[in-house]
Amino acid sequence: MKYFIKKIITLIITLLFISLLTFTAFSVIPGDAAISKLGVDASPEAIARVRAEYELDQPVMTRYVHWLEKALHGDFGRSYKYDTMTVTQLLKSRLPVTILLAVMSFVIIVVIALPLGMLSARFAGKWLDVLINQLTQITMAIPSFFLGIILTVIFGLVLKVFQPGGYVSMQEDLKGCLEYLILPAVAVALPKIAMVVKYLRNSVLSEMKKDYVRTAYSKGNSVNQVLYGHVLRNALIPVITFVAMVAAEILAGSLVIEQVFSIPGMGRLMITSISTRDYPVVQAAVLYITSIVVIINFLVDILYQLADPRVRTA
Amino acid sequence: MDKELLKIENLTIGFPTKSGIHTVVDHVNLEVGKGEIVGIVGESGSGKSMTSLAVMGLLSEEAQVSEGSIQLNGQELLGMSREERRKIQGKNMSMIFQEPMTSLNPVMKIGTQVGESLKLHTDLDKEAIRGRVIEALASVGLRNPELLVDQYPHEISGGMRQRVMIAMAIINHPDLIIADEPTTALDVTVQAQILNLLKKIHRDTGSSILFISHDLNVIKEVCQKVVVMYKGVIVERGDAKEVLKHPKHEYTRKLVASMPDQVRKSQNTKKLLEVQDLNVYYKENKKLFSSKDKRKHIIHGMSFDLYEGEILGVVGESGCGKSTLAKTIVGLNREYDGKLEMDHLKPQMVFQDPFSSLNPARKIGWILEEPLKLKGIKDKKQRKELVNQMLTEIGLDPSFANRYARELSGGQRQRISIGLSLMRGEKLIIADEPVSALDVTVQSQILRLLLKLHDEKNLTYMFISHDLNVVHHMCHRVIVMYLGRIVEMADVDELYDHPCHPYTRMLFDSILTDEEKETTDSVTVNEILPETVDGDGGCPFYGRCRYAGENCLSEVPTLTDIGTPGHPHLVRCERIAYGEKYTAAD
Repeated sequence: MKYFIKKIITLIITLLFISLLTFTAFSVIPGDAAISKLGVDASPEAIARVRAEYELDQPVMTRYVHWLEKALHGDFGRSYKYDTMTVTQLLKSRLPVTILLAVMSFVIIVVIALPLGMLSARFAGKWLDVLINQLTQITMAIPSFFLGIILTVIFGLVLKVFQPGGYVSMQEDLKGCLEYLILPAVAVALPKIAMVVKYLRNSVLSEMKKDYVRTAYSKGNSVNQVLYGHVLRNALIPVITFVAMVAAEILAGSLVIEQVFSIPGMGRLMITSISTRDYPVVQAAVLYITSIVVIINFLVDILYQLADPRVRTA
Repeated sequence: MDKELLKIENLTIGFPTKSGIHTVVDHVNLEVGKGEIVGIVGESGSGKSMTSLAVMGLLSEEAQVSEGSIQLNGQELLGMSREERRKIQGKNMSMIFQEPMTSLNPVMKIGTQVGESLKLHTDLDKEAIRGRVIEALASVGLRNPELLVDQYPHEISGGMRQRVMIAMAIINHPDLIIADEPTTALDVTVQAQILNLLKKIHRDTGSSILFISHDLNVIKEVCQKVVVMYKGVIVERGDAKEVLKHPKHEYTRKLVASMPDQVRKSQNTKKLLEVQDLNVYYKENKKLFSSKDKRKHIIHGMSFDLYEGEILGVVGESGCGKSTLAKTIVGLNREYDGKLEMDHLKPQMVFQDPFSSLNPARKIGWILEEPLKLKGIKDKKQRKELVNQMLTEIGLDPSFANRYARELSGGQRQRISIGLSLMRGEKLIIADEPVSALDVTVQSQILRLLLKLHDEKNLTYMFISHDLNVVHHMCHRVIVMYLGRIVEMADVDELYDHPCHPYTRMLFDSILTDEEKETTDSVTVNEILPETVDGDGGCPFYGRCRYAGENCLSEVPTLTDIGTPGHPHLVRCERIAYGEKYTAAD
């Protein structure tokens, strides 16, 4: 219980800090929300009116305090660009897509990387290991947005398996949506798979040198029994931390890939909002993503305790 | 009974290197009869562990067995397929490893690990296995085996883990148990218990034991027959007591006589170091949201003096605070109160582990020069000169300055550590277990070097060790520590002839001395000593004390001098304070 309270306090502090940071960042960078809304030809009066409406004429700290007061009541304000929508509505329509994409990428990573890593370690130095090593080397070197473009060209334009830019919304057709998201998910996942495979392989190999492995062999265990019965759980402990970092990176990675595959998720929303100086949207989006990352870390802590009894008692 | 269980013939093992095969085991012949305990003694690199791993089928893949045969119950083990060998491992033979800390799987429950060989080799169901595991844990003297099965290795002490290892080795009633340095990593008091336990198991089950150790006293204690290995070859074999009493081979003689002669007591009365009411603490991790400043009291009101030219021994079990004391004196721990006075001295320290205490990225010359730079000697030539001089003094060639620590053997590294501590010309050296990581014959060389330097440079040592034999030979005066307190302090001969504090006596009971001992069963197998608890009132040793009386629980004992004028003999025990003196018959 104490642990939970501690974690929640950390989360709150992090969110406060991040929100302040984004607020100040936007007050420092050049650009004006009013001008980008009304266009460069707008009259100074009109601009002044909009600025007053958005409180842009106030000092940063005053605005921040105002924003914070409202945000604490769950009101993140209205989008500057989409006047009719509240920020909350906007996020509600976009967030699920990004989360679905991230979850798909994550599942692909875990499902493919863990067996490959174990295989690579089991046959270390043999041809299978060399092959896996070469493949991971190559995929690691390709950035995911470029991979996305290649996948689009191959599957969209040559094989015509999917329609580039033909995103199907979740509400309309969940199956169609999943099918559309598979390629971007793979594009995000591939480089990360390579990293996880390498990490797991090295972790397993260093565990194999430990004394308890010799003990396990002395009892008559086979190689596979030692590997899966004794080594795997020990080897996974450092991998868990690594995978958590990957999970956070997936979120960042999906921002780019959404642009490449024109998926209407958080990433695209953020990019357009930044370029139109739609501060309330950016602010809220950043906070959402931060919370998700903090929550992931929290889950990892729990997972860590499940995997390692030594952490549990400490 | 005289049929051979294990028969090793002409066993030759080598490792391929750039310049051909490097042979580590050379035509070894060895037999272990049914119900016999055979010891292999030798230092690291002698091939004793290689031989045992070959029997167990655990050699690494690089190792090449070029010749020979290993037969268990008449069945040839070499050349067996992995599948065939698995049927024997954990069933007909099992192994007890040296490091109980690392040889158990940290994330697997103790019960699962102990029962694993039953799961692999029998058809017993879960419940039956659990029953057998509890039985085995109880038979090695572990308390509350029902609770233990669901615990993890990190939750129990080193001695208990070694018992768990032993339970694991005996659970399937193997014909042969291979024990590879099973007590080396343990405290002396625990060591004696484990050896007694092994002897009991041997008596009860009739299993044969192949016992590997570098410690002659341990071998003599346990084994009937012994073989001495040196550089991969068996140089001597025979009845254990006979071989160790009348060694024939030169190497065995060296092993047996590896204790240096004792030094003369210096008569100097100039105090180099004065410690008065020293209390030392460790700060515990400060938590973010707690204001309480937590610290752990490690050393309680220690007072002693160290005189110029003296060698003062400090003994005690791990966790008694002897290393903390050393660190505090050299200034590595500032959390203390009380008086700690020394005259313009910067005491230097020699550390236990010569492998990790030297910077691996720097050459020896650079490492030795560093203190000179700190001292402010700017002339490069002069520094080189001094380094060369020091290398010669510590018995190494000046060319060692161009080598890296990894190119050196353990003994050579420890020489460097000693040289390093002397570079600034300081007179007070704190040596924290300086030889315990080294082989026996190397140990004696390092001890001789320390004594030589002591004589030549009029050095003063504080010599911390858990090895009571070494302390006996090296030191003039000895402090016995228990839970951060001095429980006894006296001149070395007085202390070894008339140990008074029950704890000191317990320590001495557990060492295996050169003389034959009839009453080795004084520490019974089932006696698991209670965890050392630091109570608020009464004698801190109360829980483990054989002689404890009622008032020991309520009264905090003070140090009493029972020595003669000029030769104080301090003991912290209430019963001593009331004028009782234990006789040897106790």
